[in-house]
Amino acid sequence: MEIKKKYYSNNRKLTLSTVLLSIIIILPILTLIVSTTSIDSSNFKYLWDNLLYDYSFNTVYLVAITSFFALLFGVVPAWFVSTFKFKGKNIYDFLLYLPLAIPVYIMAFTYSDILSFTGPIQSFTRKYFSNFSELLNQDYLQIEVLGIIMALALYPYIYTACRLSFSLIGSNYIELSKSLGMSKSKTFFKIVIPLSRVSIFSGLFLVVMEVLNEYGAVKYFGVNTFTSGIFRSWYSMQDVETASLLAVFLFFTVLIFFVLERFINSKYNYSYQSNTKNFKEEIPSTKNKFIIHFFCLVPIIFGFIVPILFISGNVVYEFERIEFVKVFNLSKNTILVSLIATFIIIAISVYFQFLRRIVKNKVLTIFNEAISLSYALPGAVIGLSLIILFSSTPFKSEILIGSFFVLIYAYVIRYMAVGISPLKSSFEKHPSSFDDTAVNLGMGPLKLFKSIHFPINKSAIAIAFLITFVDILKELPITLILRPFNFDTLAVQTYEYAIEEMIPKSSIYSLIIVMMGIILLIFLKKIVNNQIDVSKS
Amino acid sequence: MFLKVNNLKKYYSQDEHLIRDLNFSVKEGDIVSFIGESGSGKTTFLKCLAGLEKINSGSIELNGKVLDNQNTFVTPNERKIGFVFQDYPLFPHLTVLENIKINLEKRFLSKIEYILGLTNLQNLSNRYPDQLSGGEQQRACLARALVREPDLLLLDEPFSNLDSNIKLSIQEEIHKIVKETQTTTILVTHDIRDTFNISDKILIFKAGILQQYDNPVSMYCNPVNCYCAKILGDLNQVNINDKIFYLRPEKIMVTESSDFEGEVEKCLFAGKEYKISAKVNGETWTFFNDYAIEKNNKVYLNFNKKDLLEFDSTCSNFFTLNQ
Repeated sequence: MEIKKKYYSNNRKLTLSTVLLSIIIILPILTLIVSTTSIDSSNFKYLWDNLLYDYSFNTVYLVAITSFFALLFGVVPAWFVSTFKFKGKNIYDFLLYLPLAIPVYIMAFTYSDILSFTGPIQSFTRKYFSNFSELLNQDYLQIEVLGIIMALALYPYIYTACRLSFSLIGSNYIELSKSLGMSKSKTFFKIVIPLSRVSIFSGLFLVVMEVLNEYGAVKYFGVNTFTSGIFRSWYSMQDVETASLLAVFLFFTVLIFFVLERFINSKYNYSYQSNTKNFKEEIPSTKNKFIIHFFCLVPIIFGFIVPILFISGNVVYEFERIEFVKVFNLSKNTILVSLIATFIIIAISVYFQFLRRIVKNKVLTIFNEAISLSYALPGAVIGLSLIILFSSTPFKSEILIGSFFVLIYAYVIRYMAVGISPLKSSFEKHPSSFDDTAVNLGMGPLKLFKSIHFPINKSAIAIAFLITFVDILKELPITLILRPFNFDTLAVQTYEYAIEEMIPKSSIYSLIIVMMGIILLIFLKKIVNNQIDVSKS
Repeated sequence: MFLKVNNLKKYYSQDEHLIRDLNFSVKEGDIVSFIGESGSGKTTFLKCLAGLEKINSGSIELNGKVLDNQNTFVTPNERKIGFVFQDYPLFPHLTVLENIKINLEKRFLSKIEYILGLTNLQNLSNRYPDQLSGGEQQRACLARALVREPDLLLLDEPFSNLDSNIKLSIQEEIHKIVKETQTTTILVTHDIRDTFNISDKILIFKAGILQQYDNPVSMYCNPVNCYCAKILGDLNQVNINDKIFYLRPEKIMVTESSDFEGEVEKCLFAGKEYKISAKVNGETWTFFNDYAIEKNNKVYLNFNKKDLLEFDSTCSNFFTLNQ
């Protein structure tokens, strides 16, 4: 009996460690929700009567515009690149993915400057087409313009999901629909889109979450969303209670999208036979060639080339005034916090996923699901939650608020799901008989991890590391709220110069964020391509 | 006996018993086939033997040592049991040789060459799993299990992923390897035809209960119930004086005249002979014949009465817990 007890108590210890880690991650948001139960009802009435409609409408409207254009920029080029053979296809495939390196707020600052009265377009038209210039002289800081700009920065989430989904569908279903006499467009709408619905919606879900999380761009465009409302109530009006209520509203809005995503995933997740054979690429007609190049070039030019050229131009223009020591220090800070947070996230994520394989326990699955909700939590909500957590007993600590520790803690909460996602699919991909075989061959958990799970999942670990690192590199709202005194990152500096209408001065910081992002994304693309090649060989 | 399983019970909930009071034993060096339908708990039974699943009650003894009972639980790595899983799980990042050597005790290193030779893998030892055929992968898994000189070898559906053209040669190879190493082996399968010719004993398992445990010949000739009889091959129903008997197709002969006159319904070419179905006294009989007989022709059939199988009248199909 003793031996039996010892054997199974080890599993309990491992489960307990996961539960504890999960609670640490979920604790701040629980504190936030609990704290709002004691808020005076007059605050809620004020919120209901004055702010809620405006915030809700703007948030939903912005989500709708961004989603529509992100779908257009993401799905259509992904279909063209997957099914047609044309010149520049591989370059398009690569470039279509790169706007991921440009944070939404940098995209927004850049376009507001490009479109402004003193920007290059209006200056050019005033100089050469004076009659036409009056027509262009508009207020571009509108929610619709912001929606399109955000879509240009966020469509790669949908593009990437579609490319993967289309490659999994492969050629069999397409050939079958052809043999049934279906046209290309009918095949696309009746076969490809329904089979890819879950992937498209997963990509769209990420876009929606990014829109709900966005602070820098909405603040700059003066659009009142939940996130900007939280910041305004808190910073401008010193009204923590209204900010908390807004954060909880935002949390439940996110929860609705989260549940919807899970529902769609379970309802439409068809179990189709994935096909490792690629699409048989067709050579398009001249008319189709034009359409293909147009739909691929629009998001590339406006989502990547124009912002990069403009930022680079500003850097050249400002070159003599660049404070290189400051640039170096801020880069160092950014890399340091991103690295530390990423290491912690990946270590915890790998531990969770490994444990899920060796300890068959429902508790682990539930906590894993709970943690995956964390990515849906906007940075502003997490920031506020942590401040409330460390301002209330028993965790009250003045020293901790505004410390390096809390900043990293917030990053870990926000980006844990980003790290878990690729690891989860990789760890789940291998049959459970691997673990049974290893146990049968006498391997303990440590050896099993070192000899089997680490080597076979190392690509996924690298992917998780790169994705998480790039995301933290770009992070703004959490850093704005929780950064220690006298500690800035590249994102914060970019935002602060932009908000002071000094966009050219902010460009060097933007450029460094973007360049680091591009380099890491190139690595990422290389790893992903290698994986696809291996799976197809 | 080398392996003793006594009153083994396994369930995930009280309403859903997978294995009920299983009792059987195996002699050293024997190959035992454990036959059951898909989802009947065969793999779970192997996992219980290997220590990868807990048993709810009963005991397992191997080579004189208690592995699992109320008070003892020997961990999987201390059981000396080799397990070859159904989907041939070779670790994809390791070559065949590395797969065989992983976590291998030093004392077994000298055996690798012998095992590679025995499993005919010498020329494939540096290949990765994705460069091997299904049969080669299976041999590699077998080599990995056998090099550790297990007291007991467990094979989970070893033939289910193989093409029919190589199945027979793999069956013969496994038999040769296992007998040469004198390894006591239990293999589970849902298709008795895969193991009939290589098993020393067969255990038929249905509804969580052992239905019959015997050598292949006795089992074929004297099945204990209709389920076991049918699982081992086709049966014809014969009515004599209002009593029901059963008869194997190969025990039926075509004669010049007989009391059993039939009309041919179907005649299929089955390689060295023809498989013919005919309607006899309202029942369809199947039998084999050296030459074809056209459909709707009359045919006279006969048999030896000693070949008739008779089951207890209460046995409608198979044993349940109350029988």
